Amino acid sequence: MRMMKRRDFVIGAGAVAAAAALAACTSAPPAPAAPPTQTPPPNQAAKPTGAGPTAAPAGAAATGGGLTLPNSGAKLPTEPLTLRWADNAGLKAIFFKDFLPAYQKVHPNITVAYDGLPLPELAKVVPLGIQNGNAPDVFELPTGFTGAQAVQQGWAQSLDDFIPNFAQWKASYPPGIFVNGNNVFGGKTYSFPFVSNKKNNALLLYNVEYLKQAEIDPASRPLTWDEFRAAAKKLTQQGAGKYYGFLTAAGEPGRMAMLIRFLAQMAGAVGGDMNWKTGEYNYATDQYVAAVDLLLAMKADGSIFPGSASLNALQADDQIPLGAAAMMINGSYMIPKWRTEAPAFVWDYASQPVPDGKTFSPLTYSPGGSVWWLYAKSKYPEVAGDMLGYLGSEVGQTAVQQAISGAQPSVFAKANQAAGIDPLARKAAALYEQQMRLAPSPNVRNPAIAEVDSELKPLTPDFGAVVQGLFTGQLTDPSKALTDLKDRADKELDRGIKAAQAKGAKVAREDYVFANWDPTKDFLEADYR
Amino acid sequence: MARAFAAPVLSERLYAARWCYVFMLPSFGLAILFTFWPIAASWYFSLLDWSGFSDERPYIGLANYVELIGDPYFWQAFGRSFLFMAVTVPVRLTLALIVAIVLNDAALRLAPLFRTLFFLPVVTTSAIVGLLMVFVLSPFNGPVNQALVASGLVGRPIDFLGDPATALYTVMGVSVWKQFGVSMVYWLAALQTVPPEQLDAARVDGAGRWDLLRYITLPHLRPFAIVIVLITAVSALRVFDLVQTMTGGGPFFASEVMEVYIYRNAFSVQGGTPRLGYASAAGVLFGLTVMLIALTQARALRWARQARGDAGLRQ
Repeated sequence: MRMMKRRDFVIGAGAVAAAAALAACTSAPPAPAAPPTQTPPPNQAAKPTGAGPTAAPAGAAATGGGLTLPNSGAKLPTEPLTLRWADNAGLKAIFFKDFLPAYQKVHPNITVAYDGLPLPELAKVVPLGIQNGNAPDVFELPTGFTGAQAVQQGWAQSLDDFIPNFAQWKASYPPGIFVNGNNVFGGKTYSFPFVSNKKNNALLLYNVEYLKQAEIDPASRPLTWDEFRAAAKKLTQQGAGKYYGFLTAAGEPGRMAMLIRFLAQMAGAVGGDMNWKTGEYNYATDQYVAAVDLLLAMKADGSIFPGSASLNALQADDQIPLGAAAMMINGSYMIPKWRTEAPAFVWDYASQPVPDGKTFSPLTYSPGGSVWWLYAKSKYPEVAGDMLGYLGSEVGQTAVQQAISGAQPSVFAKANQAAGIDPLARKAAALYEQQMRLAPSPNVRNPAIAEVDSELKPLTPDFGAVVQGLFTGQLTDPSKALTDLKDRADKELDRGIKAAQAKGAKVAREDYVFANWDPTKDFLEADYR
Repeated sequence: MARAFAAPVLSERLYAARWCYVFMLPSFGLAILFTFWPIAASWYFSLLDWSGFSDERPYIGLANYVELIGDPYFWQAFGRSFLFMAVTVPVRLTLALIVAIVLNDAALRLAPLFRTLFFLPVVTTSAIVGLLMVFVLSPFNGPVNQALVASGLVGRPIDFLGDPATALYTVMGVSVWKQFGVSMVYWLAALQTVPPEQLDAARVDGAGRWDLLRYITLPHLRPFAIVIVLITAVSALRVFDLVQTMTGGGPFFASEVMEVYIYRNAFSVQGGTPRLGYASAAGVLFGLTVMLIALTQARALRWARQARGDAGLRQ
């Protein structure tokens, strides 16, 4: 493999990661220019045939056995070997329960040591392994690290030489998946998405029985923010201490950030944390402040599950099938888990509330996508390449979708039509399809932005912590706290840009401005020109 | 002739004690690997602007220390660590002393059973205790809240770990419960040194239980008390596993003690890259403070020995 110079790598920095980094490090002027776009009520266009509140469909969570792997034709070692693989488990681990035994059956000499780890563990295992020169052969990057960094630092190697029939494999993908600066660096491909980036945790997830009893119908059209607040109050009264109207993982700052970001974004804070039209942070906009005010009002009403502030995301998710709360705002990733662990629980998805119940500005997702990276010092790159080739193929992705009941959509349209996809997953996917648009990415425009990403220091408190502080009452003035956050984020981004410039990177704050961006449309490759 | 009476030279003394040094080697080697080397490395890392695993690690002198001194979250975490110590040490030691005095009574036949029960939490892993307590204290279906609500003491469940006013104190309470047994054993050991003949003589002279405690037991315990207080104080600064599993330092830093602050900066950042160099600087400053306490402990230990010698107490 040709060794690339660091500058080459830098000229190819990750768009998704940049968006994430930006999300944590910026602030915006009040009230962005872009008004909410006139769009039909989300739910009207989001009703796939036959989708509705259901118990587990036959075969929706079918797992185990029976996976047939195609012969890739790869020449693999014949001696006994162990390939080490570490990622953040979740839906991946569900599929691996089928995939790994099937792969090892076809290749009896190969043992795959799979570690599905929580993110904090991953953040220790991968860096330490890299430092010691014995990282897992295939790994997922911990939060806070970009693919650009992994390539630039020489942790990852490209897949081009190891995925069987690579050119054909890559060509089978729909356009827009392989993006320079995200999963492609210097013309080489380093990663690919496990599921589509076109997904979110911004759906209204509700207990059908509780809402039916309260005569609340979020399915016919999105609730307005006022209706949402009133519904939470009514449901709490109806629960009489046994359950509450709304639950959120307020103990996990990242989840609080997500909740407010999505509410504010659909209310008109286009782009989420950064308004790509102006390159300014949105934290101090009216929409962000109003979203926080809504949350605080619901708390003051007593409508929020009393233990929310000490719940992390996993704990919060577990409370819903137990009947602890009637509504939460989340994604569709838990479908297989709940179908298995709480088969009698009946829930449904609808659009999250929007201020007037009619108009909304779309949520955004990032171009490209990545999950696994091939360790540069892997002893068995051809084995890893063989497995990755299958996981990233249409056949493999179809098997993935069947195993995870379609809990998050694939980038392959055909895979999303696989048998056994849960009707609720189809409904969620339709909502994602309707409500999300491809965002611009400064990393795609100028891969040298990876240098800025490397320079950015974490904000204390960051956006999630600020929202948590406001929720618990430790911060008392939302507008002041969010304006302070915006100022600190602006300052840090400017400092990061200067530091990158001092090292020779050709970057500027203007790289974050996309004047031609229309938030209602996908920002395509041609738009960068 | 004169040489025959002089103290042996160093080489002779070393040779005479050669087996002692040989036996010390394994633990000395381990101490170098797992104690001294990490300490020395953290001093060096604290002078770098380093994420922990990038190739770039520019030397920045004392910049991390300068930044730390201006970081309010550092000082708040610092303060919380010492608040944790200031609250838990007196509570833990007072309760443990009371229980130890009761269990030291030879007439109490079930004393060994109670000693074991009180000591059980000590041998349980802190992280497990922390996770368990999250469930026990859960505001939704935790037994503590169920009991509180059922008894009518509160109208609505208390979010012990999610309320900034209660989170740190709740962890303190669990810490006291968890470590109580250690202090109890210390006190029981100290109580064994109280001469029974003095107690018997006092009883003959008509002294009551309170008099025995006030005029005989407590004065004998005083030198031990200093050592026990200092050991407990240092251990109260090492509560990472309990805090991390119960609150993660939240909500909004309300229970973030120094160790959690260091961990957050070194490994657990959200957005931006980790700052191992900065976290190391925080660790060095905090370590120096703990070292000061340890030195005080050594000095106090000397004073205690001297006091015991002066008092003519039995060894």
